[in-house]
Amino acid sequence: MIERLLERASRRADGGADALWRQVERTSVAFEWGRLKAAGVSEEAGVNLRVRHRGRVGVAGTTAVDASPDDVLTRALASAELGEELALAFPAPASAPPVATFFQPVADASLDRLMAMGRSLLEQLEREGCRVNVTIEREIAETRVANSAGATGAYRSTAIGVSAELWRIAGDDVLAIGDVFEAADLPGDDALGALVQSVNLRLEHALRVVAPPDGALPVVFTPAGLSALLLPVTQALSGKAVLQGISPLAARVGELVFDSRFSLTDDPLRAGRAASRPLDDECVPSGTTCLVQRGVVERFIYDLETAARARTQSTGHGQRTIFGKPVPGYTNIVLGEGGREKGEGGDALGGGLLRDVRDGLLVDELIGVGQGNVIGGAFSHPVALAYRVERGAISGRVKDAAIAGNAYDLWKRVGGFGADARWTGARYTPSVLLDGVSVARR
Amino acid sequence: MIDRLTAALARSRADYTEIRVERTWSTAVTFRGRRLESAAASEDQGGFVRALSPGGGWGVASFTSLDRLQAMVARAVELSRAVRVTPPIRLADVAPHRADAILDLDGDVRGVPIAEKKRLLEAYNGELLAVSDRVVDTVASYRDEVSEYWYINSDGTALHELRPEVTLSGTAVARRDGTIEKGLESIGLRRGWNSVQDKAAGFREAAERAVQLLDAPMVTGGAYPVILDPELAGVFIHEAFGHLSEADFVYENPQAREMMTLGRRFGRPALNVGDNGAAPGLRGTLPFDDEGTPTQNTPLIKDGILVGRLHSRETAATMGERATGNARAISFRHPPIVRMTNTYIANGRGSFEDLIRDVKLGVYACGAFGGQTLLENFSFTAAYGRMIRDGHLAELVKDVVLAGNLFQTLDRIDHIAGDFRWNQMGGGCGKGGQAPLPVTEGAPHVRIEEALVGGDVPAGSA
Repeated sequence: MIERLLERASRRADGGADALWRQVERTSVAFEWGRLKAAGVSEEAGVNLRVRHRGRVGVAGTTAVDASPDDVLTRALASAELGEELALAFPAPASAPPVATFFQPVADASLDRLMAMGRSLLEQLEREGCRVNVTIEREIAETRVANSAGATGAYRSTAIGVSAELWRIAGDDVLAIGDVFEAADLPGDDALGALVQSVNLRLEHALRVVAPPDGALPVVFTPAGLSALLLPVTQALSGKAVLQGISPLAARVGELVFDSRFSLTDDPLRAGRAASRPLDDECVPSGTTCLVQRGVVERFIYDLETAARARTQSTGHGQRTIFGKPVPGYTNIVLGEGGREKGEGGDALGGGLLRDVRDGLLVDELIGVGQGNVIGGAFSHPVALAYRVERGAISGRVKDAAIAGNAYDLWKRVGGFGADARWTGARYTPSVLLDGVSVARR
Repeated sequence: MIDRLTAALARSRADYTEIRVERTWSTAVTFRGRRLESAAASEDQGGFVRALSPGGGWGVASFTSLDRLQAMVARAVELSRAVRVTPPIRLADVAPHRADAILDLDGDVRGVPIAEKKRLLEAYNGELLAVSDRVVDTVASYRDEVSEYWYINSDGTALHELRPEVTLSGTAVARRDGTIEKGLESIGLRRGWNSVQDKAAGFREAAERAVQLLDAPMVTGGAYPVILDPELAGVFIHEAFGHLSEADFVYENPQAREMMTLGRRFGRPALNVGDNGAAPGLRGTLPFDDEGTPTQNTPLIKDGILVGRLHSRETAATMGERATGNARAISFRHPPIVRMTNTYIANGRGSFEDLIRDVKLGVYACGAFGGQTLLENFSFTAAYGRMIRDGHLAELVKDVVLAGNLFQTLDRIDHIAGDFRWNQMGGGCGKGGQAPLPVTEGAPHVRIEEALVGGDVPAGSA
């Protein structure tokens, strides 16, 4: 179907075209406050078309493609009429590396199976004084991309997300602890057990509330808690930020900017991950991109448009939805030397890093991450879920505390990486100990 | 279309069935600096079915191909039967309505060429850039849509609406050496093309603010009397209190229900809060919610006491209260969930000057760059602030971040002025994976007798 659309487009647009067609079918079950409440399905299909005409680029999208196939082309051409001139070249055919994106057991999982999975989680998590929400969502998708230079790609993919959230309200103290399993293949009993264990462990230590410490202190960030520290770095490593002149890393390729143990990789070829794919949404074959190696800035991510404007090559990071134009986006972000599995202390909160902390914090969740001028590196957030660490062990949960610092300064000297590396969404990291984080009581 | 939906509904074997179909035409234009980033028009269509069988849970189906309507009704019924729920889900009674409503399109955006939309935004973006050569970057965006909407349910409600929306926003980035500051203008209206003309002044002011902030010191962190301007006060009441008043948070959670018991004191007698989905001309306003319940004004806090909450038909039935018309979905892809519409702090008495007259040292926090609430804790970033010294406004300050505990902060609101206004901003609210939902917030100037202001990290901790 996109072949026909591209054929029509090539006749009317003198500089070629590319398109993405995606069909997604989702099945979900929801347990609300401890009860199975709803089951749902959704079917969605749509096409995103980009054309280049008289040197200018335009896009259009539609979910009503069967009804009016020429409308989307007419709108893309109208969009191109306004667009700026851009030497966008559609990539020639190239072979895409193999990566497993489709897992039959996920596609075959019945509604009963999904409900049973949820019920089992619920039973393991429920306890007096707490309420539990569980949602399970299974996705089966088919993606087709093609361009007028003859490149094409098609793949089927599966994904499953299992999220559990435990709420405990005691007077005006509200505590919510959750975790999510996300992958392309079904979770085994061990993965679901780990999810239960992760919630239990954090709840157990949260029941006692203690006063927060104060000062420039060592802070251990869990894999979930690391968001505020990694967000500025991933934003700054986007070719789009470099082009806009707002990336503090723009002129620093080849320089040692981070601790020499800090490495960051984007890996679209990880087996079993929902963000993995053989090629990007612009027909560029997938490959592993080393962003930072042993503290040295290596490269930025680009899609076709940002690469054309920066006079470089796409790194295969074009992401597009049905609506709007493609943008550069990450797939699976891996912190560290990659693939290091669970080691000693890996089952404990902090991944074995707490024993060196005399007085400090363990941070699992912050409030307001992503607000403000993120890319500059400075952050200041109240804690949502954090624990005080005294003499190498957790003494209790802290409320009414805030942490602040600058991500670039803190990443210069890492106190240690935990032995608890895990996936949090599309990010694989261990816990990290950073020294000299400002901790303030409220 | 209504006939087609009625025929599909007639074949449902469930106790309760509802069908929604939407067809949306939208245009989006974005400038980044002097460069047009994109200008594109999209068409989105699809349907949503929800069914409730005897003793069953919600069966839900959404789809983009309308040919699948009949099959998806059957699928929703089947899913509902597969989910056993005890005690059964009940829905509060709502009288059936039949309505054909075309909201004021105020210049139908579908009749305006995309080139003209680009020209309008280019002019506003030009206003940002022209303010000073310190303005090194801008992001300006225009988005419009007209959504044709059909809804029917098995209680006899049948609705057809044409819903317009238009949003404009501009961010000016000013830089001098290593210092970068932002100024933001945002307009969001449930109207059309005519309503976004002559808006240059707001864009200019945003850029001027960004330039002025380059010379402003960082506010010194600490506890101060804080006066919130109507914009920030509106964002505060939406984020910090509004979400707790959504009944799906409390209706099946005994501990949450206890925390939010009607009759509990939440503030001083001056504090009155509500949510009004029927207020004329606002972005959060619609005649009916996405369950066919008429929208209304719902008082939430009266004279400092919790008196109400926001309901869907399901949460209302569970709690023995009345549906309030707050079940909303961002599109046919989603089920309706309990949401706010136009949330407000009602007018008090007196002027802004009355609020600051007896403040020796305080902070006037204005505008909102963002805010997040997690449980009973919140954090808001004001766009800028002014110090208050000896009862008068003094110097401009930046990096004004308010953080605190909701219950303590509401209780410390000690003075509310009589200068109420609605803030017709763009953006929207996010909840349960559904964002952005068009909402409006409104408030007068509000004084908190003591609140924690972050900014420069307090001495002794850095």
